[in-house]
Amino acid sequence: MIKRNQITALHLFIISTILLTACSSISVYSPEAYKQAVDLKIESLNIMSSATMPFSDYEEDVAFLKTELSKAYEFAKGRPNNEISTKQWEILIDENRNLLGGFLKRWENDETLSEMFVTEAQKLVSDAFDTIIGLESGKISPSELK
Amino acid sequence: MPTFNDFLSIVKDDLLEFAKENLDEYKDELLKDGNDFVKKTKEDLERWTAALATGVLSQADLEFLLKGKKDLAEMESLKQLGLSKIRISKITNGVIDVVVGSAVKTFL
Repeated sequence: MIKRNQITALHLFIISTILLTACSSISVYSPEAYKQAVDLKIESLNIMSSATMPFSDYEEDVAFLKTELSKAYEFAKGRPNNEISTKQWEILIDENRNLLGGFLKRWENDETLSEMFVTEAQKLVSDAFDTIIGLESGKISPSELK
Repeated sequence: MPTFNDFLSIVKDDLLEFAKENLDEYKDELLKDGNDFVKKTKEDLERWTAALATGVLSQADLEFLLKGKKDLAEMESLKQLGLSKIRISKITNGVIDVVVGSAVKTFL
């Protein structure tokens, strides 16, 4: 015969499991999002390398890159339960912050940037992309979901 | 004939073992990531302040990089938050597997 406290324990366990699952909801792995982040990392670092030269010579390239970055941000924003990755993209591309968006804005304002500054900013931006890539690659693939 | 008490006892032991394995692994990963970030930040600051002293970096450059480091730390925290949510999802799935496994061990 199952006692009352054993039933309560079982109920508590089931409720905890449901709550834990609800609180931990995060998007599943998307190969498209992963590829987008990797490709944009390479493209961004490549364009940043040119920032020791006049911005006006690269205006079109930068405009194209910004469009691609906006697409990646909107793609992240449109995925369900993807608020954390979306926030990462937002920080990375924000012109008022000090990663890729801020770097491109500064290049535009200053016309050219010093070699060491560009190299150091590239390291930061590379690490910033790695946080997005690292989170995406850690996500559970749809096939693993039960 | 196994009782519900036998099942509870087995599931408790199995869950403890499962939690120990998973939490130890997670703790190690988290500490490694944290230590790596601190080490890298220290090296960056040393290099940047030396470059400022020799005029290779300007005051504005240094200010931008320092603020960039802060933004990067925020992105790293978001990554860790996301990974911990994923870990919880995996643990929840693991807990269900453990309970089903314990029931099979007890009753079948």
